[in-house]
Amino acid sequence: MSFQDWIFSVHLLFAATLVGGFVMSWIVVVALRSVDAAAETLSFNRVAMVGTIAIVLGLPGTIALGIWLAILRPQFHPWDGWVIGAIVLWVIATVAVLRSLVEYRKPARKARELIAAGVTGPSSELVALNRTTTGLLLRALASAAIVLIVIDMIYKPGA
Amino acid sequence: MLGAIRPAGQDFPVLLHIVGATIVFGALLASVSSLALARGQVRLLRVGYFSLLLVALPGWILMRLSGEWIYRKQGWNSLPHDLKDTTWLRIGFGVADYGGLLFLVALVIGGVAVRRLRNGKKGIGLLRITTGIALVIALAFVVAVWAMTGKPNYGEGTSALAAGTNTQTTAVAVTATEFKFKLSKSSVPHGKVVFTLANKGKLAHDFWIAGKSSPLVQPGKSAKLTVTLSSGKLLYLCTVPGHSAAGMKGTLTVR
Repeated sequence: MSFQDWIFSVHLLFAATLVGGFVMSWIVVVALRSVDAAAETLSFNRVAMVGTIAIVLGLPGTIALGIWLAILRPQFHPWDGWVIGAIVLWVIATVAVLRSLVEYRKPARKARELIAAGVTGPSSELVALNRTTTGLLLRALASAAIVLIVIDMIYKPGA
Repeated sequence: MLGAIRPAGQDFPVLLHIVGATIVFGALLASVSSLALARGQVRLLRVGYFSLLLVALPGWILMRLSGEWIYRKQGWNSLPHDLKDTTWLRIGFGVADYGGLLFLVALVIGGVAVRRLRNGKKGIGLLRITTGIALVIALAFVVAVWAMTGKPNYGEGTSALAAGTNTQTTAVAVTATEFKFKLSKSSVPHGKVVFTLANKGKLAHDFWIAGKSSPLVQPGKSAKLTVTLSSGKLLYLCTVPGHSAAGMKGTLTVR
């Protein structure tokens, strides 16, 4: 394997980690909607953390190595339309993910407060936070941007 | 994901394959994390198991079927045996198929565990086995992604010179573009033949004939391949996935 092959391979491993993290976060987000107790919310939060780490590792790794490859490979350029399109979508996905993380941190904070207050049973306030529409929409926006990046990278319009 | 530019018609199955593979990978991550971090919480254990059953299983089916579609679309099934049997394809199919079998075992064991938990019996131990199997498959997936994208041992060339009875050497100029070869001669005498591959296209190509392959040649570069050929009609092709199916193949008559 050449140096470029290694870069390409690691770039795709980061991409797989990123998309895998998104798939995982969706499973947790959907499951979390039926959770009403503080202890369970915190358990789901621990699991969600694994997906968050995958996304947080995948986002910078994919873009950094992707731009490097666009510079290294003679047939591609960083200013190609499909590369710029991917960078714009990456920025949208990153901003949306970071904002959604803020939304999904709220139920974990509330759960800790409830446990500290000795409330272990169902909480309607916690259910509302677990079913955050803002968080869901931001996660959907980020996922749509990632799906479009995958399509853009495979079809490479204009290349 | 700055992959190769593929011949027309191969992008959609590749998209399905990648979507399927990442669904499996994400669901395996979710399952392993849920089962490992559940600390006895039944709801989280169920999420771990149903991530495998309802998300990873459909993803695996999509990945495997689209992988087979790509295999046929790229013409691997009609290639000579030594070209079909590449390391990266073996790893990819091995992980998909043996991983698939392990995956079914994990589903059965996990299913029994979930049923036992529902009936108030012990099932955590069985779910730990499911977690272990899912973790092994997830790690194997990482190896498969590396193999399918890096394609180890691919493009290094196998140029060799075998002993022949005819001492005459024939030179053949081969021009590669997307997606065809142009040879300066359509027939050559048997014996030593030196092919000079000039890549005038935009993508990397190689030239394979009689079990020997040139190195992968980048656009604007050239390479030589020396082989000793016996009489007959010999298949030549580009071994870059999909290129032969798109037209980079032909036959050379050896007199």
